Amino acid sequence: MPDLIYHGVGAGLVGMALYRAATCADLLTRILALNVLAVGIAAVLVAAAYRGSDVPPDAVPHAFVLTGIVVLVAVTAALLALAERLERDGDAGRDNADE
Amino acid sequence: MMTVFDVMLAATILWTAWTALTAPDRTAAIAAFLVFGLFVGLSWVRLGAPDVAMAEAAIGSGLTGALLLRASRGMTPPAPTRVTAPHRAAAVITAAGVAGVLAWAVLVLPEAAVVYDPLVDANIGDSGVSNPVTAVLLNFRAWDTLLELVVLLAALLLVAALRPIRAARMADLGPLYPPFLRIMAPLSIFLSAHLLWLGTSDPGGAFQAGAVLCGGLLALFFGGTLKTDGPDVMPLWALAVMGVVVFVGAGLLAEALTGTLLEYPDGADKAWILTIESALTLSIGATLLLLFSGLRQGGARP
Repeated sequence: MPDLIYHGVGAGLVGMALYRAATCADLLTRILALNVLAVGIAAVLVAAAYRGSDVPPDAVPHAFVLTGIVVLVAVTAALLALAERLERDGDAGRDNADE
Repeated sequence: MMTVFDVMLAATILWTAWTALTAPDRTAAIAAFLVFGLFVGLSWVRLGAPDVAMAEAAIGSGLTGALLLRASRGMTPPAPTRVTAPHRAAAVITAAGVAGVLAWAVLVLPEAAVVYDPLVDANIGDSGVSNPVTAVLLNFRAWDTLLELVVLLAALLLVAALRPIRAARMADLGPLYPPFLRIMAPLSIFLSAHLLWLGTSDPGGAFQAGAVLCGGLLALFFGGTLKTDGPDVMPLWALAVMGVVVFVGAGLLAEALTGTLLEYPDGADKAWILTIESALTLSIGATLLLLFSGLRQGGARP
């Protein structure tokens, strides 16, 4: 039973994240939306691996999710570096283009 | 009784996620994201996935939150975005559609998730470890984990290339910080080694251990003991690269010994896995620290 509830949570998180990524121009909010999206998909996978409180869950989706978490932090760090660079050099770059 | 708990936890997760995505203030949004990650971790403990929950709490919530806070400092506050009605309607339809299909998928495919499980059960005895998640990550699907380390290194190179800018100024943390550090830094090393060793039989492993080690390194970094500029950065770089080097070396050596890439010699699996995991732990700790601190070579830019 809990797997169904958390499966629904995962689906809800994916929907929320997609909506905010589509309707918000702010870079940091979009990076947050990407993180929420990934956690939502991970929640669906973890819920799919669950098979009752007295049966051990499927380990393969767990390994996928662990890999996903580490890749996600790497992607987030890279995106934040890009966003910071845009924020700082964005205006200067435009000025140079005008000259 | 547990259903009440599940429903409340589910509602909290959705609410904190929505706060993180819509709060007008950046710090509030990031704080909500941190809390969100911890509650998601709690829900995964409930679903019997403590390995994943630990990684989510330490890396997905804690370290990502630190990265976000660090980046948000230099960014202007978000301006409200003007969204036209058709744009908003399209976003609602897409988001609701994808979420609806995801929710519906599990109801029509109830037995879809049991494909790999019998294979893991049948081979766990040969894997050298008794924690099935570690067995999958470091033995059955070691190739995926090797490539994951390469992804981390690629991200680190990108961050290093993009961010050789001004030195981050550290706030003075007061007279209580050095005594705190004298306890925390060794403790993080102990805890990290403990999690690494535990990972062979119980929840834990290289990623969780690496995240804890990164916490200790970050504490040293904030205290000014550990510097990530000048010549001091070279050992950290060496550690960051070491994970991939050791993993590839082990894969090739295994190829020479057994004829198959990443197929460890019979009976010695545990020693191989622990050797690789130890290198991974140090490497992940150093990589995560460098991702956070950014990298500065002296005089690269004004």
